[in-house]
Order: sequence, then C-alpha cells, then structure tokens
Amino acid sequence: MSSVVGESVQLDPVTFEVIKHRLWQINDEQGVTIRTISTSPIVVDGNDMNVGIFTRDGDLVVAGPYVLTHVTTMDAVIKNVIKHASDIEDGDIFLVNDPYLGALHQNDVAVVSPFYHQGELILWLGNVLHHADLAGIDEGSFCINARSVFQEAPRYFLKLAQRGKVSGEVERTFVMNSRLPDMVALDLRAQLGAINVAKRRMEALIQERGAPTVLAVMDQSLDFAEQQLRERLADIPDGSWSSEVFMDGDRVGSDRIYKVAIRLDKRGEELLFDYSGTDQQAEGAVNCTDSACYAGTVTPIYTFLCGGEIDWNASMRRCVRVHAPEGTVMNARYPAPVSICSIGFSWMAAVAAMRVLAQMFSGSDKYRDRVCPSWSVSCNANNIFGLNHKGKNVGALLSDHRATGAAARSFADGFDHTGMIFSHMSFMSDVESQEWKLPLLYVFRRQLVDSGGPGKYRGGLTAMSALTPYRSERLIWKSQNTAGADESNAAGIHGGFPGAGSQVSVIRQSRIWEKLGQASVPASYDDFAGAVEHLPSKSEGTLTRGDVLVFYPPGGGGYGDPLDRDPEQVRADVLAGAVSAQLAERMYGVVLGDGRQVDAAATQRHREALRRERASGSARPSADVSSEGSDSAHILGEYLEAVGRNGSTVVRCRRCGCTISEHGGEADRSGAATRLSPLAEAGPWLALRWHGHSPNFELFQSACPNCGVLFDVEERRKTAVGA
Amino acid sequence: MAHYIGVDTGGTFTDLVIIDDSGQVHFDKAFSTPRDPAEGVLAALDACSGLLGQSARQILASTSRFSHGTTVGTNALIQRRGAKVGLIMTRGFEDTTIITRGPVGKNLGIPPSQAMDFIHNERPEPIVPKTRIRGVTERIAVDGAIVAPLNEREVEQALRELGQQGVESIAVCLLWSFRNPIHERRIAEIARDVVPNLPLSLSSEVSPLLGEFERATTTIINAYIGPVIVRYINNLQSGLEKLGLSRPLQLMQCSGGLTLPQHVRKEAVSLVNSGPVGGLVASKQLGASLGYDNVITTDMGGTSFDVGVIHRGEFEYEQAPFVDKGLPVQVPAVKVVTVGAGGGSIAWSDGRRLMVGPQSAGSDPGPACYGLGGTEPTVTDALVVLGLLDPNYFFGGRKVLDRSRSEEAIAEKVAKPLGLETRAAAAGIYEIVTAKMSDLIRKVTVESGYDPREFALLAYGGAGPAHAALYAGSLGAKEVIVPHTASVFSALGCALSDITYTYARSQPTLLEPDEAVLATFNEVFRELETLALEDMQSSGFKTDEVMLLRHLDLRYEGQMNELTVPWERQELTADGIQLIRRLFENLYETKFGQGTSRSESPMELITFRLHALKVTDKPNLKAEAESGPDPSQARKGSREIFLPEMGAMQAAIFEGEALLPGNVVVGPAIIERRDTTIVVPGGFQARMDGYRNIRISKD
Repeated sequence: MSSVVGESVQLDPVTFEVIKHRLWQINDEQGVTIRTISTSPIVVDGNDMNVGIFTRDGDLVVAGPYVLTHVTTMDAVIKNVIKHASDIEDGDIFLVNDPYLGALHQNDVAVVSPFYHQGELILWLGNVLHHADLAGIDEGSFCINARSVFQEAPRYFLKLAQRGKVSGEVERTFVMNSRLPDMVALDLRAQLGAINVAKRRMEALIQERGAPTVLAVMDQSLDFAEQQLRERLADIPDGSWSSEVFMDGDRVGSDRIYKVAIRLDKRGEELLFDYSGTDQQAEGAVNCTDSACYAGTVTPIYTFLCGGEIDWNASMRRCVRVHAPEGTVMNARYPAPVSICSIGFSWMAAVAAMRVLAQMFSGSDKYRDRVCPSWSVSCNANNIFGLNHKGKNVGALLSDHRATGAAARSFADGFDHTGMIFSHMSFMSDVESQEWKLPLLYVFRRQLVDSGGPGKYRGGLTAMSALTPYRSERLIWKSQNTAGADESNAAGIHGGFPGAGSQVSVIRQSRIWEKLGQASVPASYDDFAGAVEHLPSKSEGTLTRGDVLVFYPPGGGGYGDPLDRDPEQVRADVLAGAVSAQLAERMYGVVLGDGRQVDAAATQRHREALRRERASGSARPSADVSSEGSDSAHILGEYLEAVGRNGSTVVRCRRCGCTISEHGGEADRSGAATRLSPLAEAGPWLALRWHGHSPNFELFQSACPNCGVLFDVEERRKTAVGA
Repeated sequence: MAHYIGVDTGGTFTDLVIIDDSGQVHFDKAFSTPRDPAEGVLAALDACSGLLGQSARQILASTSRFSHGTTVGTNALIQRRGAKVGLIMTRGFEDTTIITRGPVGKNLGIPPSQAMDFIHNERPEPIVPKTRIRGVTERIAVDGAIVAPLNEREVEQALRELGQQGVESIAVCLLWSFRNPIHERRIAEIARDVVPNLPLSLSSEVSPLLGEFERATTTIINAYIGPVIVRYINNLQSGLEKLGLSRPLQLMQCSGGLTLPQHVRKEAVSLVNSGPVGGLVASKQLGASLGYDNVITTDMGGTSFDVGVIHRGEFEYEQAPFVDKGLPVQVPAVKVVTVGAGGGSIAWSDGRRLMVGPQSAGSDPGPACYGLGGTEPTVTDALVVLGLLDPNYFFGGRKVLDRSRSEEAIAEKVAKPLGLETRAAAAGIYEIVTAKMSDLIRKVTVESGYDPREFALLAYGGAGPAHAALYAGSLGAKEVIVPHTASVFSALGCALSDITYTYARSQPTLLEPDEAVLATFNEVFRELETLALEDMQSSGFKTDEVMLLRHLDLRYEGQMNELTVPWERQELTADGIQLIRRLFENLYETKFGQGTSRSESPMELITFRLHALKVTDKPNLKAEAESGPDPSQARKGSREIFLPEMGAMQAAIFEGEALLPGNVVVGPAIIERRDTTIVVPGGFQARMDGYRNIRISKD
C-alpha cells in the first residue's frame, strides 16, 4: 500500500484555513473533556494540563490553550515512545511520566496514542494532566525531601491500552500507587476519554477531507508558523544579552543559592539561548531535564512574540535553539531527582528567558511593546493533605499562586493577578470550592498593597492568603515555592523596581479561633497572636488547631523610573489600596496633602531632591554632557541609547545627553551613578526572613550622574565578604 | 377577539408580532430607540396594528398577553451604564471581585487568539471599584456554622459610608451565605434602617450557589442593572396602560421562560442575555408543530452567529454562562453558543492565508458595499460578488448595495495578495465562514454527544439563510427550515413562551444511602417548592396550574464541574440513590464516551434546581391549504451565481413573498424575501409548507 504521508497535495488557502480551524476544534474538545471529568482543582480551575495533535514523528502541530510546557515536552515523550516501545499498533495508548523520557515531571502524565488510517500510522494525539499524587516520599509528589529519582514517584512507561482495549491491570497498578486513588482514577479516565473523543473527531475529518489533505495542512501549519516567526525575528536588531536569575533553596533544609546564567544571541532569523555558567545540578528535586529546559525557555517567545498571531507549535524548534550544559540544574544527569522540575528549574528557564527577551525587545522599535521582564516568576505551590471530618484522606495542590502579578509594560502598568506565563487559562479556585474539598478555612485572601514593583508604570499586584485547619486535627503542608523567599526575581526594567517576592509563612498558636469568635478578622501577620516564621522556599510541616499558613506569590516589576510616574496615577493607586501613602512618598516622590490630594509643589521638590541624591552617587567629579556629533544611534531602553562616536560605541542618557560609558561597548555602564541598598527598599514584601535585609542579595541601582534619572535596578548577588 | 403580542428589542430593530384568535401571525418592525426603548416598542405596535387595520389602542384593549424581550439590562451592563453599586463582603475577602480568579474575567468570552496575546489583552474595569467595597467582620464556615459573629456596628458604618458616596444600589455577598443566610439577612435589616431607599441584592437570594466569585458577580450585576430595568419596565407598562393594556407585561428571561414585573425586581439579572433565547423558544414550538423534537437553531446577524440545540424537545442549559467580557453569572440560561461570524465579519490576508474574522465591520461603517466608508471586505461583500445577494434587493430594496465597492475591497485586500481572481477569493470567504459555522454547530452538538444527522436545522436572522443549505449539507442535517417569521423570530418566541420561575440552591452533599442525606434532599426541594408556589400565587396563578420540574447538579466527589440531571420523582427514598447514580452515569458516558464513568467513585450532589412553570395559553398557528409545486408565478428571472467547488452557473430567482404553500423551487436558485435571501444550491430543493416556511433538503 502506498503511503499517504508526504503525499503531495496542492493546498489552497481556503482549504488550509478550513481544516486548520477544525483541527483546533478537535484538540479543544480533548481539553473540554478533561476539564469536565477531572477531580483535581489544579486541573479544572487551574487548567494544569494540555492537549495536542502531533505529526507521525511526534512534532507538535496543534497546542491547546492550557499549560504550554506540557505540550512542548510531549514531543519528546512521543519520540521516545516511537524509539523504545516494543511495538506500536492501531488502538494502542501509552502512558509516560518519566522525566528522562520527556515528561515535565512525574506528576505530569502524558497519555499518547498513535492514529492510524488504513493501517498506516499518520499522526499522534496526546494529552498531559497533572495528577495530584503518584507516590514518592512527599505528599503531592513534588518531592522536596528527595535526593535521588528513586525516592520520587515511580516513572512509568506503559502501554495502557493495546489495540483499543484498556488493560485493567496497568490501570490498577498506576492508580493504586497513589495516595489519592479515587482522584487519580478519574483523572486517568479523563485522559482516556479525551483521546477517544479526539480520535472519533479526527476519523470524521479524515473521512470528509481525505488523509493526504489533512496531513498536508498539518505540515504546512508548521512551515507557515516557521516563516512567520522568522520574519518577525528578522525585524528585530541583532545582539547579545545576558542575565542571571537565582533559586534560593533546592530542598527542605537547604538554603543554598543556585544561579542560572543565561545568554541570548540573536542573529538574523534565529535565537540561541545558552545556559553556560549555570550552577551544577542540585541535590534536591528542582533539577530540570533537557526537554523541560527547552520548554521553559521558549515559553515567553510563544506568549510575547507569537501571541495570537503565530501558531504555537514545533516550528519553534527550527528557529530557536537552547544549549544547557549537561550536569547543570538546567540539564541534569540521571539519576538526579527531578520531581519539582516543572515549577523548579523549568520554571526558572522561563524566568531567565523573559529577562533577556525583554532586553532584546527594548532595542526594537517594532516590538518594544512586548517588553515584559517578569510574569509569575515563582510558583508559590502549596500542597495540603490530611484527614477530613469523615476520616477520609484528602489532598490537593492549591491554586492561589495564580493571583501573581506581571511586570509593567513599556506603555502601561503590569497586570494584577494575571495567572501563569504558561497558560492564559490558569485560573484560581474559589475559596468556597477549596473549603468544600479540603478541611481548612481561609482567614483571608486579599490584594497585597505595595506588591507591584514601583516604576513609571507599576508592576502588577499579587494577593496574600491565609488558612487554618477546620474540622481536621492535623493538616500536612508541603510547600515547593520555586524561589523568592530571598531575592524576588520579580524584575523590573529600565529603572523599575522588583515586585514582591514569593513567601510562605507559618504562625503557631495564632489564637485565630478566639479572634474570630470575638469578631476580629486578622488582615496580616501582625494581627495574629503567636510567632511568625517566614519559611525558606521549600518547606513542610503540620498544622494543628490554631496554626495558620500564610502565603503570597510574587508581584511584577516596574517599568521606568518611578519618579516619572504621573502623580495622579500614584494618588489613584493610593486611594485604591494598591500603593501605600508611605511608599508613594518614598519611591514615587509623591506627597499627598490634606484630603489625599497631590501636593504638586511638594512633590516636585521631593522628586528633585531624590534625583539629586541619586546623581550624587557618581564616581566622577563632573558629568560630561555633550551632544557632540554621532554617526548613528540606537535605543537601548527607556533612558539609554548607544551612539557611534569616532569608531567606538558610547552609551549616553537620552534625557540629558550625559555620557554613561565610552569604551566598553553597549553593555558598559561604568560611568553611572550607582547605589547599593537592601532589598527592602523596593517594597515591604522582599526577603521577609531577614526583614528585607537579605544576606545574599542587594539592590544595585544605576542612575544618570547628571540628571539623576534611574535607568536600572537589579537584584544583585552580594560578593563574598572582603571581595 | 383576543390578541397575543410578542415584542423583541434588538440593536437595530424592534420586532413585534400580533397573533390573532384565528392563529394568524402578523408582524412588523420599527427602528429601535436606544435612548428610550419604549418608544420603539410603541412605534412597532402602531405599525403592526396598522397591518390589521386597527389602532394600537384597539389592539391593546383586546390583548390577553403582552410579552417582551428586552436588551435594556444587557446594554446597561455592556456599556457600563448601570446603577452606582456599593458592595459589602466578608472581611478578608473584600477583594474577591478585584482579584477575580486570576485571569477569569479577562480571558474568557473572547476569541482565543485575543486571549493568547498576553501583553495586550487588557482586563475590563470592575463594575464596582475598590473604593465602593466594604468588608464586614463575620464568617460562616463550609458547614454553615458561624465561626465569627457579625459585627453590626461595622455594617452600619459601611452602609452609611456607601450612602455618603452616593451609591444607588447595594449588593451583599458573604462567604457560605447560601448555606446559612443569617448574616446577609441581618445586614438587610440594618440597611432598611440606615439606607432605607436603596435597593438591596443579597447573594443568598439572588444566587444561593457555591462559588463566591461567581455568586458575587451575579449579585453585583443584579444590583447594577436592576434599577435600570425596573425603571424601564415601569415606564413601558404605564405607557401601555394609558393605551388600554390591562394585563401586566411579561418579560423574557435567559432561562427561556417569562417572568412578571414584580419578580424582576428581585431577579433582574435573569434578563441579561435573554436576547437570543426568544428564537429558541420559537424554534422549539415550530419544531414541535413540524414533528421535530431535535432541532439545531442558527441565527446569523451582522456580527455573530448563534447556535442552540433542542434535544428531545428540551433546551440545553448552561448553569453559569459568561456575560459581557467573560463575567460568569450563576443564572441558568438556555445554552446559545456564539462565534464572531456574521455578515459584517472582515476577510483579510497576510499574503499567504485567507482569514475571516474575528474583526467585524458591524453596521457602521459596515460592509464595503454599504458605501458608508467601510473599505474592508466582509462576508456580505463576498455574497454580493458571488451574485447571491442582489444589490438592488437587499432587505427588499430598502438598502441599495454598491457591488463595485465589494469587488474593489475583495480584490485589493484578499484577491491580489493571494494571487486569486476576485470571484475565487469571494468564494473562499464564503466557504471559510460557512465552514466555521458548521464547525460551531458540530462543536455544540457532538460535545453533548448528539449526532447532527438526527436534527432538523432552523436558519433565521437576516444573514443565515444564504449559508444554511451548505453548512447543513456538510453536517448531514435532515433538512433546513427557514421560518416564515424568520425576521421576527425572537418576538414570536416571546409570544409563545411560558411563565417560568427558576430556583436553585447549593447544598453540597455526599450522596450515600443515609437517612440524613434523604432528609436534606427532601427538605431542600420542599423549601424551593414552597418559595416557587408562593411566588406563583403572588403573581396571580393557582398552584394547581403550576408545573414543577426538578433537576440535580451532580458530580463525582472532588470534581469541579457538575452535570445537570432531571429528577422526576418527588420524594427521595433510599432506593433512589442508585437511580441518581444511574442517571448521572448514563449522561456522563453519553458526553464523554464509554468507559469514562467509574462506579466505585463516590458521588456528590452540589445544587438542587427547580423550575416552576405556568403554561400560558397559546394560539394555534394556522396552516394554509397547499397548492401545486409549480412556483413560476414567483419567478423574477435568473442571474449568474458562483459557488465554491461548483463554479459559475445560472440560478433562477424567486420572489419569496409570491411563493405559495406547496410550491417547490429546485436549485440552483435564490429565493429573495424582504427580510432575507435564501440560497438553494444545485442538488437541493426548497418547498414552501402550509405555514409558509421554506424547507430545504437534498434532492
């Protein structure tokens, strides 16, 4: 029989569009099925799953609108099934959760199935779903105590269905290994149901349009997206940009800081991300596999550059390469533990990539509106387990971390409570749904004042939640906060400050029940009785009656110098409770008078004084302000430009013309007025463990030595004492 | 002589039908008058009365029912012109509607391509800004227990402050108030003292359902549009009374039933998005009279294409539909799914692809052929170029279209960039939009486990019948019916609807054969029944005229979405638990496929629902005697049309109004009516039945 794959089909634009729309819908239906059947709040409300349609070789063609890293890693899963399965037949369904075979981490179970037409394998259908618990030493299977992969959830590589018949034995083995078998069983049914639905729809489409045409549309979707992406990249000036982001703590009991070094080289129509210089792999389970590193890194390219205009598919791999040296946290060597990969270093890959992409977009007149250096930079993920009032073991991953903020944009404030960068469908559960499901009571869930990084445009706000056991003697929490209990990573850009970090805290003997009984609801840490312990990023423990767990995910960083912000906007923020009057004055230089009106004269005086103070941080006696002729200029960001002068590159202030550096190239800022200060200066929600005075990080601010405009704020690692 | 009047206010036209004793349907329309919609209603009434040779006064004097679908509430919401609302919430959760649920309220209810544009997709302004939200100390837990008593002093102060801020309406939403409404009720008492003149919406009354964000949103919208709707209804009612109407207005709700003015005061939110529902009611009636209990309804206007399903004579419901830009409201609505594919949808190309929508030229500037300054090619322009629309007979010649502008727009924006002939590009636009329509229909039916081949398809709305035969053909639907009253179908639905009050309460319960479960079950339904019968009585109906329909929202323990199952028994007894599981799992497997249910999994019952129905008197529509198949008396001539895959051909043109019952038109042909243009492709034929509906089927 002759193959229909690769059969040459002349496609007209109408057929292309009609079939592409249909493929999207078939895939969408997989997603709807999963969301309806699943029992897991993080799946249904949080959409921690995804669905895809793949070529016969396992290349992603159609991605669902859910968690992006899931479908991006499924490529590798399918390729590994093709490589390692003893045989592949029509009606087979494979179940794979092995991170070393492409799964994002063990919880994210890929269910994939080959699709046959007249006896020939022509494409793959697949979905991934985050299962609430698949065993391992820690409840919830993000194994914050593991030191090798053998202490984590089992890694499965199974044939769940053979020639259309589901194996009850395989299903049972998978389900019974979980601490939450009822939940896992239904979630697996959801995945199977989704595959079945997609298969039926695909059969109908192929019957209607013919396999060669459908396959040609799939191929051309890839070619077309590649072409669009290349064109977009070609429009952006070439260059190289570097950054560093950090993770504080890799497992319970560890305060070790890990560095992710990233460098982006843009040449023509291609991008290369290089993680050379990144720290060696960790002892804890936060490590990332190669495929998860790729998935995390390209996420912000999909969301910020492709948006709704370029299909999210495997064509990315044709223009974007990622190099992560083996043995580092970004590409761990077997048998390193990896069960926190998804919200560990795979997440950090997206955080790092956002930084360098923001720099790249800053230099592009066409795409400057895409600058966004931080968006949900830490997954403040908390698993809660315990016995409910009926003695049943229940547990789930809370979704409150979707209340996180995003960085301000080059034209407007950042989004408050924006969900994850990995999915625009990442929603948060209602408090009532959580309380119905788990034996706990929320004390509050409130918008966190001053959590958005100050800037000309303010970073997005996050929210803080507090909960306590209710109708349960004892709850276990397992907290795997990506990072942010020390440095925030919630970077701003071009003089914008970082937003809130990401923190989990416990308050023992808080007297919460007495307080509630006396009609008093605490609003923050200080309103409880009892000692507050601000926990490191990976933590665990038990909550008994009267104990309270308080947590908040990160905010977003600011854009531009906060002293450039319209005072009336600052006032509006104060009235809406987004910014405190105190921060308005200290960071924005805005003085509010009686009736909380802007005192314009006092504001102007205060702002001038603050600028003078900044300029005084210059090492140079007098600033050189010359508008001396230049051969060419290009914009580096809001306040800086690079000009060619006498054959070398000079960096100067766009506002006053002052020269910042003359000899070190575009990246040189040696002539800036600089200042070091504790993280606390950016706001009240950084490094709480040290009252804002981190022993490891400080704020490094760079301003123009002449006009005092702030053009860069960085959370910088402190150099060793004496260095 | 008794008359039944149905009137529907739309964006452009106010449609009105009068059905007389003999079952004859008369209809006409007037321009809508957005500033005071009552004017448009009265104008349409005048016009239609004229068709019967009577004055509005004469007609109203003998009117036994006056039913009305209004967009006043929807418009107030979309244009943010509702009342100034103050909101009271549980302390600690004041920010619930500001935080939303992450990107909920921002990313739903819009095309995915827009939601995927992470950087530019802005969040809509909240209806109640933070400065008008107050938290009060109190807390009720999941089991209804009071864990923090209500601080009444705070309540007084909050109400006083909101009063001073000039709010016009108060919404109250406390956590778990649907389990225990005691604190909300106490706040209502205090409000009657402190702000006696302000209307009050309590979440435990408006929407006693699980999920504080959705419940709060529903309550806020009720508080926001309530005063606007009540003002409008009072105004219209008194205007009609002056003209001699002696019956209360009946108002269309999104549930597909009618309500009375006194009930609207409590539940104004039920009127939001009632617009498209009238058409489904009419479809259900029409389907039944033609022997179809499975009907797909399609309504295509200028900007959107709406699809609904009637399965075994029943509507499908959505328990928490999204309104405006993705705000969830917990008011069960007849399910109508929309996609931005209308006559005004814009076609575009990037030089390689041909795309249609999601942008729309709307009616201003509208398609290029309107000559109102629009330069983008739209679907309507494609129809003109293909010869499917006669530029001189658009809406019966009420608007003359400029074919050369259509050609120019398509040539410039689509054909040239793609290297296509203009007509081929137009055919591509037509094919793509038609495919999107059939994709949506497929989605709506197959997602619910239905096979479109078992359905008849109704096409109404001005733009739909030009596409219907093709999309119905690709789905294999039994036949396409273009109703005689297609252009006023929602108004007809109003006239044919029943009085329906809906009640729901969440009372999450693990479903086990346990005495306490049975007691809860029966008690909740008894309470809802008492409420329903009281409301019906106070609306002037006898309890023995009222039909009660019960539904249960069920799920496996831990699931987050429920399936709604009808419950036909009254009392629940121990053996009924197994029956509930069976009903649930049957529906579950229909929807998600065999092998997805799991009999070992515990089940929970989340929400109890009750519909109280007072069946209204309905006119019997009259069928005319059919004459022979020969339609030649209606033939106007012929012209060249061009269809995808079929190419150019001569099509016979018929004047719809001149066709007689029994006439058969064989495709390729075009039937031009004053309100719509019906395309009958080659291989299809169209027959006019005794109700003057056009029925299209394959030869």
